[in-house]
Amino acid sequence: MWLKLVGSIIVIITSTYIGFSLASRYAERPRQIRQLISCLSALKSHINYAAVPLPEALSQCTCGLTGPVADFFHTTSLLLSHSAWLTPQAALTQVLKDSTQLVFNQPERELLASFSATLGSMDRNEQQKSFELIHEQLSRIQQEAETRCEQNVKMYRYLGVCSGLAIVIILV
Amino acid sequence: MENIQNILTKYIYPMLPPHIAQLLMKLPVKLLANVTEIRIRINQPLLLVTGNQDIMVADAGQETNPSQAYRSTRQDLLRIFQVMCKNSVYAFEPELQQGYLTITGGHRVGLAGQAAVIDGTVKTLTHISSLNIRLARSIPDCAKPILPFVIDRINKRIYNALLISPPRCGKTTILRDLIRQLSNGNVDLGISGVQIGLVDERSEIAACENGIPSIDLGPRVDVLDACPKAKGLLMLIRSMAPEVVATDEIGRAEDVAAIQEAIHAGVSVITTVHSRTIHDLYERPYIGELVKHKTFDRYIILSNRLGPGTIEEIYNANHEKIHIYSNEVKVCG
Repeated sequence: MWLKLVGSIIVIITSTYIGFSLASRYAERPRQIRQLISCLSALKSHINYAAVPLPEALSQCTCGLTGPVADFFHTTSLLLSHSAWLTPQAALTQVLKDSTQLVFNQPERELLASFSATLGSMDRNEQQKSFELIHEQLSRIQQEAETRCEQNVKMYRYLGVCSGLAIVIILV
Repeated sequence: MENIQNILTKYIYPMLPPHIAQLLMKLPVKLLANVTEIRIRINQPLLLVTGNQDIMVADAGQETNPSQAYRSTRQDLLRIFQVMCKNSVYAFEPELQQGYLTITGGHRVGLAGQAAVIDGTVKTLTHISSLNIRLARSIPDCAKPILPFVIDRINKRIYNALLISPPRCGKTTILRDLIRQLSNGNVDLGISGVQIGLVDERSEIAACENGIPSIDLGPRVDVLDACPKAKGLLMLIRSMAPEVVATDEIGRAEDVAAIQEAIHAGVSVITTVHSRTIHDLYERPYIGELVKHKTFDRYIILSNRLGPGTIEEIYNANHEKIHIYSNEVKVCG
């Protein structure tokens, strides 16, 4: 009897955990995109207003944020400072690829890759245009990610708990 | 004099592709000691310019003839340019429009390539095909022989002085040391330190890093880094109340207007200009007017006859010679 009870509790906890972690990925993505937009906005100011060189601008644009997005900018900045022959696109792509904490999907990864192709190689006016473009595109992706988040977060949480209960009922 | 090896190791080698840096590292120190410029052109031999000759370097890292010399590639230039502008072309927009960059240490890098022109104005340079790295060296006391001539002991002020020479004759080096000596003061000449405002448009004189001079200019110098000369001179006069304002390589109409305004505001001006003689200056637009109107109290003519920084003649406000140097005074980079 006790064995069954303990086994059931373990099954429910495990399935709930899986459900919640799947849900948290959906909740985390819009949050990271929001942070990305705000960092890019600060980067735009550093470039357009003060013409700060890219390695410094990338490390200053996180404005006190912590977490995977801030780490992404800091690591790119370090990489560009220490390996000056790397292009911004190569540095950004490498950091994006190596990061395990970022939950970006393919669309935002592709956007960042194409944005970084001209980063640092144009004058301020042109940089501003590409910042405006990526801001607009990321905002659209953020809206879509938030809609998905609303739909999926609750669903995965309920699904986790309910599937645990269903397994227990079937087994018992 | 700062050791050339230090300059190359600290500022120049990190900018060059490793294989070019290694070529230079293999050269004898004695030879490197006289190098004033490194010229890199696509598909042409890598050139080291010393005071009076050009040196070509072989792949093995020794002096050679044109047929065996290392020839720089497009890739070399692309990479050097990328490193020098820190992957941030936008941060060097005004400099690129004028065809140069200044790297850490105050070393100016001249650029040539294809100009992108919009509405008659050079917007930027693309397809960079030539680089000229000019090694800047601070030479303490190289301005010492000039110092007595720029101080008005009677009125306890600094004369308005114009350093005149063609390029590569040590104008900037002497100006830098003059500023340092005036800032420190000189008891023998009866001057305590002078408050100086320096407009360093090309970041060559003070070699500022994040706004802080990396070259010793003494305790009384306020540096306005990377600021256009004309605007900077007036900004400093209004904001920092200097006794002397200094800047490098004047020539445009607005520079001349700013200098006149500074002098009429009671602030002494020390500056430099490209020319060979005081009479050649009469023919220069804008600056010629300043000379004709006897705006400056001292004209110091430099040449590289006996090495960069050779002081040839010093004239007073009436364009009369007050001193002639027959010997080399200092050799500057």
